[in-house]
Amino acid sequence: MRHAHRRGWTRLGAAVAVAGLLSFAFATSTSASESARVGHQKGGGDLTFALEAESTNYCLSTAQLAISGIQVVAAVYDTLTVPNDKGEAVPYLAKSVEPNADFTEWTIGLRDGITFHNGEPLDADAVKLNLDSYRGADGAPNVGPLFPVVLDFIADVQVTDPSTVTVTTSVPVFDFPNYLFQVGRFGIMAPEQLNSGEECQTNMIGTGPFKLEEYSQNEKTVVVKNDDYWQKGFPKADQITFVPVTEAATRVNGLQGGQSDIIHTSSAVAIDTLKGLGTSTAELLVQKPGYREIRYYVLLSDTAPFDNPDARQAFEMALDRDEINSIVNKGQFDLANGLMDVDAPGYLKQAGYPNHNLKKATSLASQVKSDVGSFDVILGTTTDPENSREAQLMKEQLAKAGIDAEIAQFDQATLINKALSGDIDVLLWRNLHGGYSNSADSDNYPWWSNADTGNFINFSKFNNDETQALLDEGRGESEKSAIDSTYQDFNKAMAENIYIVPVWFVDWAIGYSPDVNLTLPKIPDGGGKPLFVYGRIPVLGLGTS
Amino acid sequence: MELLKLIARRAVQLLVVLIVVSFFTFLLIRLLPGDPTDAIIPFGTEEQKAQLRDDLGLEEGFFQQYWDYVSGLAQGDLGHQYSSGRPVADLVEQSLPISLQLMIYAQVIALLFAIPLGVFAAYRSGSKSDSAINTTGFALLALPNFVLALVLSYFIGAELKWLPTSGYAPGWLDPLFDPSRTPDFGEHIRFMILPAITLAVGQIAIYMRLLRSDMIATLQENFITMAKAKGISNRRILWRHALRPSSLTLLTVAGLNVGVLIGGAIVVEVIFGIPGMGQKIGQAIFSREYVELQSYVVVIAVLFVLINFFVDFLYSVLDPRIRRARATT
Amino acid sequence: MPERPPETALVGDFETPDEQIVEESIEGGLLGQSAEIRVGAVAAGGEGRRRGPGLGLGAWLAIGWMVFIVLIAVLAKTGILTWGDAEESFGRCARKGPLADEGSASGFLLGCDSNGRDMIPRLALGAWTSMLVATGAIVVGFVIGGFLGLLAGYFGGKETRFGAVIVGALVGAVFGLIIGGVFFAVLIGLGDNLAGVLGVLFGALAGGFAGYRRGDLDVYLTGVFNVMLSVPAIVLALSLTAFLLGSADEAASGGGLPPELVLIIAIGVVSIPLVGRISRASALSWAQRDFVLAARAQGAKNGRIMVKELLPNVLPAMFSISLLGIAIAIVAEGTLAILGVGVRPPTPSWGNIIALDRGNLFKSPHIVFEASLLIFLTVLALNFLGDVVRSRFDVREGGI
Repeated sequence: MRHAHRRGWTRLGAAVAVAGLLSFAFATSTSASESARVGHQKGGGDLTFALEAESTNYCLSTAQLAISGIQVVAAVYDTLTVPNDKGEAVPYLAKSVEPNADFTEWTIGLRDGITFHNGEPLDADAVKLNLDSYRGADGAPNVGPLFPVVLDFIADVQVTDPSTVTVTTSVPVFDFPNYLFQVGRFGIMAPEQLNSGEECQTNMIGTGPFKLEEYSQNEKTVVVKNDDYWQKGFPKADQITFVPVTEAATRVNGLQGGQSDIIHTSSAVAIDTLKGLGTSTAELLVQKPGYREIRYYVLLSDTAPFDNPDARQAFEMALDRDEINSIVNKGQFDLANGLMDVDAPGYLKQAGYPNHNLKKATSLASQVKSDVGSFDVILGTTTDPENSREAQLMKEQLAKAGIDAEIAQFDQATLINKALSGDIDVLLWRNLHGGYSNSADSDNYPWWSNADTGNFINFSKFNNDETQALLDEGRGESEKSAIDSTYQDFNKAMAENIYIVPVWFVDWAIGYSPDVNLTLPKIPDGGGKPLFVYGRIPVLGLGTS
Repeated sequence: MELLKLIARRAVQLLVVLIVVSFFTFLLIRLLPGDPTDAIIPFGTEEQKAQLRDDLGLEEGFFQQYWDYVSGLAQGDLGHQYSSGRPVADLVEQSLPISLQLMIYAQVIALLFAIPLGVFAAYRSGSKSDSAINTTGFALLALPNFVLALVLSYFIGAELKWLPTSGYAPGWLDPLFDPSRTPDFGEHIRFMILPAITLAVGQIAIYMRLLRSDMIATLQENFITMAKAKGISNRRILWRHALRPSSLTLLTVAGLNVGVLIGGAIVVEVIFGIPGMGQKIGQAIFSREYVELQSYVVVIAVLFVLINFFVDFLYSVLDPRIRRARATT
Repeated sequence: MPERPPETALVGDFETPDEQIVEESIEGGLLGQSAEIRVGAVAAGGEGRRRGPGLGLGAWLAIGWMVFIVLIAVLAKTGILTWGDAEESFGRCARKGPLADEGSASGFLLGCDSNGRDMIPRLALGAWTSMLVATGAIVVGFVIGGFLGLLAGYFGGKETRFGAVIVGALVGAVFGLIIGGVFFAVLIGLGDNLAGVLGVLFGALAGGFAGYRRGDLDVYLTGVFNVMLSVPAIVLALSLTAFLLGSADEAASGGGLPPELVLIIAIGVVSIPLVGRISRASALSWAQRDFVLAARAQGAKNGRIMVKELLPNVLPAMFSISLLGIAIAIVAEGTLAILGVGVRPPTPSWGNIIALDRGNLFKSPHIVFEASLLIFLTVLALNFLGDVVRSRFDVREGGI
């Protein structure tokens, strides 16, 4: 008798427990839906930032970080310089960055009393160690493959005194201060991190406003306030939790539902959604024209079919970028007709790329086919659905001109490898070539210098005397009008050759809860206002209001 | 004695599975064209890649590499992630408890619904409500779990906004694997409800039908008729007398189903952004992290065999008829 | 209380692989009648399935649906009737459709996907791809797994020197390769190729010998099936697909294996042990029946018995399992597509239509819902038909 009762009661008890749990969960969520949205229910000053991807390597000299990694770096590290909204690279972590008369020697002056999160001092030795690792000096720890190529022009780095580092370059490089920023990748790491071998990848130690507390791959990266930060009064927040959320729609949904306080996105559709939510639910900071990132297609120009300029022209004319923009971006993004954005040196409204012309494209394509036999191309892109859809649109448009396109999708690392080994005819890519400085050198030289100079990042693998000469010229120029004219010529020359097909300018946007205070504090020492570039925002002003 | 024999059999099975699974995943990886060093340092020079290949031990003989890997396995070294150098054991430690919790919740929910439904359907076998339950169960069986995941995500996550559509917070099992993780039970439950329900639904139909058939058979047996003759109430007969012997098959299947759940959990984890082992497997395949993938497959195979063993053991212990039957061999 | 007497269907008459697992986990050979009955009763289901002549309404609906799906798939693929172009984008329709936030576009009954492609031709062509992959995979499983299972069931427990030696040698060769290879290469220091060959030789000899001594083909086959089943199906399928496709992507120029074939192989291989165990159990029970014993007594050869006596009886159960299997394979294709491996766009399949526009679920749910509904109804119909076939051909026996 009693057994039966007990069984019945146990059952009942279990049911009650489950009901209790469920109601508890629903209770928290109901209160969430009562207000328009809710700030994340932790203590004040705890923010959750949803990023578009996870990064696995934070050893900055060897890493190839995209925006998600760069955003975390902005919290944990400082760079020696930062760009301001006038397009100047001004000293930030460094106190001064001064050239000599002909821009072949740069003196970096450091601030006193700054320490890394582990207590090591930020002195000239530490900075020299960083520079040597980045540029690949002999014997330097954790040297990567990428930066040594970009920083090829550095001849030597010397410690002049405990707060001064002198850098000598083999050619005059006016844009050197910008090279010290590298779109936020050039964080200064503590010697302990650089010297820790493979551990360097997860052992994040910098001078930044936040310290690394926890790194759970694919789950979250937690950083906490650095109480000894060198800019007094900052950071405002106590803690930031970075969470990777790959799908833009889910990220927006998370912002609405209160899982995240801030998100970033470069998806036009997501930005549109955010705008539609209204400012009581989500506020929006969208990049303005000036120094935006460009979406472009790289044509592999050293082998068939694109070693033939007619083929490149046929490809370009076959594409209806307006249609692609209208379908993929709901028409929100601005088409790019050159390699630079509005405020960058060299900007041209029309650099000379031929317009969409299906008839001409078809006749050119059939000419190519009769010369070579076939006109097949492989479109290479990443596995994510947005890129896949764009590639499918391209394939369709190309087919109308008689160009046969095949889509090949890879993860990012394999894609880069394929591009490097020349297996892909058309690479769907995007990068910051809008430039964000008064010189367009740091943004263009590393990417477009001739392949035969050993520049493997020139995915198109083109070799062109004219563009190379213009790049070399532009590197040494220091006068604004000369810079502008040189890079305009460069822009036109690139348009003539169609090694690259620019498509549109990418608007990055930060969506954030109304409870979040998104101040971007002024750069110290009168440096001006910081530039919202490439989706990266300085986090030291972030806080809950 | 029988027990020892059973243990011996399962131990041999475990060993065999381990060897075969580890070897074939290893083989498949090595057969794949393409160089893992490309994934690690795509911009590297040939010398750098050669050096890396040497460091990774890729220059050794095939069997040597396999032996190194397996002996590493035996010592708990599951290899390292190519891109970050992190030990895979860490990643397993992080993600395994998440998936386990998800599967446990799914099973509990499934049983909570399936048992009463199955009992009721057996009791009312042949009636309209029985048909109704059966049909619903049948329909649920046909519903793919990713469809349900997407539907729930849309209606409950996006339209009604009752629950989040992505994310995770540690629960009770996480600290057991990694003491540094602090649980946040409220958030944990909120994140896990939809994925657990999604996984549970498919199981409910199976368990319900299993239990129902078993109960129908049991209810025919003599001792039930006797109980009825004795005047014991129907409800008591159902729950006290008939349920227990009928539930053995159900519980066995529930235990063994964990393996099936592991598979189903992958796509549910991906859709709901739960950073469990399923999601990690998906990502390892995406990013060509083959050593990582290899180790995940081995871990799963081991788990599966261990669970099978446990359930088998439990079954024979619980069912006196089986014990007796075994004893007579 | 139940109205009908207990159903004691054949032991081999299984409904889901789970029941197979149950039976296997109970030590083979000494089941004891109660367990067998129990498992059999589970399989019986007792859905209220019609016993009378003719098929019920449900069955006709299901058949009708399947015919409909196959018809539109074939029509779409052969280009006879396509209701539009599955690969043409219409800007004005992008992301629009029933239920979509942006509303509907006129002239597109089911709306468009996020590239503005008409859903109707895409779903039709997708039907072809999904059904092709699913059916192909099950054929692979059926042919290979069914055959192996038949062998195992028929010869189970019997003296089968020859067969056991062969299978034993094969299994032994595999183990020899692994263990022997490691032994010879690592401990003795021979080169890889030599070590491998030696390992295979020794292993084959040892295995063949063991097969000869043991004489039981069944044990080996069941062992192989069990090992294959120790990795959850999706993980195995995913890994296989990724590996096979990986080589194809490396070629990336239209060469290499087409993704559809890769999927057929991967899902097919995964289904081999599942189908194999079921066909084995079925064959096992049939093989113990009187008429088979009689045939043997009359001196009929094994092969002849298997084909003439066993196969016709096993086939209905196999057919029913195949229908269920196709349904599972359709879902598997969808799962793999969501995980990023599978049919290459722009070729549509039900799975990759969902995978491609999963990100637009919140704003344009029609894309995912339409494909999901088709999958659901097809799986439902196949499940139903599978059940009907099984119960149709179910021979009831009074007692075991």
